[in-house]
Amino acid sequence: MRPTSAALRAAREHFTTPGKRRGLLVAFEGPDGSGKTTQRKLFKTWLESEGCDVVTTKWNSSDLIKPIIKSRKSVRSLSPEEFSLLHGADFRHRVEQVILPALWAGKLVIADRFLFTGLARDVARGLDLDWVLKLYQPLLWPDLVFYFAVSPATSGKRVTATRTPNFYEAGQDVTQVDDPVESYQRFIARVIREYESLALIFNMITVDAEQSIGEQHHLIRRLFLEGRERPWSDWNADAVAEWLGQARNGTSR
Amino acid sequence: MTRNVRAPKAQLIAVDGVEAAAVLADARAVLGTPTQGGISRWDASGVFEELAVADEAAGAPSARTLLLLYAADLAFRLRWQIRPALAEGRTVVAAPYVETAMAFGRAAGLDAAWLSNLFRFAPRARTRRFVHPQRGRRKTVRDGFVGFSCDRLAAGRPKQERQRMVEQTAAHLRRRDR
Repeated sequence: MRPTSAALRAAREHFTTPGKRRGLLVAFEGPDGSGKTTQRKLFKTWLESEGCDVVTTKWNSSDLIKPIIKSRKSVRSLSPEEFSLLHGADFRHRVEQVILPALWAGKLVIADRFLFTGLARDVARGLDLDWVLKLYQPLLWPDLVFYFAVSPATSGKRVTATRTPNFYEAGQDVTQVDDPVESYQRFIARVIREYESLALIFNMITVDAEQSIGEQHHLIRRLFLEGRERPWSDWNADAVAEWLGQARNGTSR
Repeated sequence: MTRNVRAPKAQLIAVDGVEAAAVLADARAVLGTPTQGGISRWDASGVFEELAVADEAAGAPSARTLLLLYAADLAFRLRWQIRPALAEGRTVVAAPYVETAMAFGRAAGLDAAWLSNLFRFAPRARTRRFVHPQRGRRKTVRDGFVGFSCDRLAAGRPKQERQRMVEQTAAHLRRRDR
C-alpha cells in the first residue's frame, strides 16, 4: 500500500519523539551451527533481567505461512524461486503481525534470523540478489545486526555432530549431491560467502562465533549498550507507514 | 470482451480478468480441442487452498503477502505445467497469468516497480487476452484469486469496500489492456 504523507509523518513522529523510549529491533544472523540461537537466548534473559519487554521472532515461523512451507519441504517439491517467495511471504506476514506491532508498542524485538538469511540462502541457490532484495520491500532495517561468523568447516562440524542436515538445509535441491553431509559442506560454503558480502554491505556487527559462549555474550551486551541509543533509521518510514495504512483498513494488528 | 481466436501450436497465451469463471471459459474457447494443449489455472500448487483453512488467529494476509503467494504459485505452474508443455511443442493457456495479479496489486495501492520485479521470473506470453466484466454490471466476484484476495482484505469491513476493490482491479486491467 503506497503510504500517505500523513502515515509517513505519524511513523516518524512515533519513533523520534525526544525523551520517549522507542522500540528496538535487534537481529541475530549467521549460518547454521554458528551458535546464534544460544546467544539469542542468553541475550533475551539478560534483557529481561534489565527490565526490558522482549519479543522474539524466528525465521519461518508465521502461523499462516509456516505450515504451507513445511508441507512442501516434506515432499521436496520447492524450486529456488518458490522457496524464496514463500519465505518472503512468511517474513512479510511476521513483519506485519509480530514485529511492527511490538516495535510500535515500544518493545525490544529480537529476530533469530532476519531477511539477510533469505538473501544469503537464495543467492547461494543461484537467484539474483537484486530480485530477492526487492521482494522484501518496503525494507525494515534492524537497529543492530549481529553476524555470527564461523568457517564452513566449523558450521559443518557443529551441525553434523548431533544430526543429519535436512534436504533443503543441506542445499541438496541445488547441489544434486546425494550425501546430505557432503552437500551441506558445499552449500554452507556458498551461504557463508554470501553472508560475508552482506555483512560488509549492510554494516553488520561481526561476532567471532569461534570464541567461547561467555566471551561472545559479554561482547554482545557491550555492543548493544553502545548501539542502543542510535537514532531511528528513516529508511524504515515506508514500512511503518504501509503497516499503519493496513491497520487503519483493518487488515493488520 | 474477447474475440474467439484459434491458437497455433507451442505458445503461451495469457488470459486475465477478475471473474474466474469467465476467464476459464475464454481459456477453453481459445484453446480449442484439449489435445492441442492445456490450461494452467490459479492455485495449481494448493497454496491458497491451504490458506483458506488456516486458523483466523494466524492473522489476515496483506495484499503484499497474497501477491508473494500468487508468485510462488505461478512459479509452481511454470515449473510443472507451463514450461514442460511448451517444451513438448504444445500450447498453454495461463488463466490467469501475471496481469490479474498486477492489477490487484495496483488496486491495493502497491508500487508498480515492486510488482514488476516480483513477476520478473515469468516469461512474456506471446498473446495476452483480457476478459472484462460488462460495464455497468455489478457482478459479485467470488472465485479465483481476485475474489479470494478481496474476501481476505475486506474481512470485517462493509460489503461495498470489497466491491470497490474488485472494481478497481477490473479498472486497472482495462488500463493494462490498452
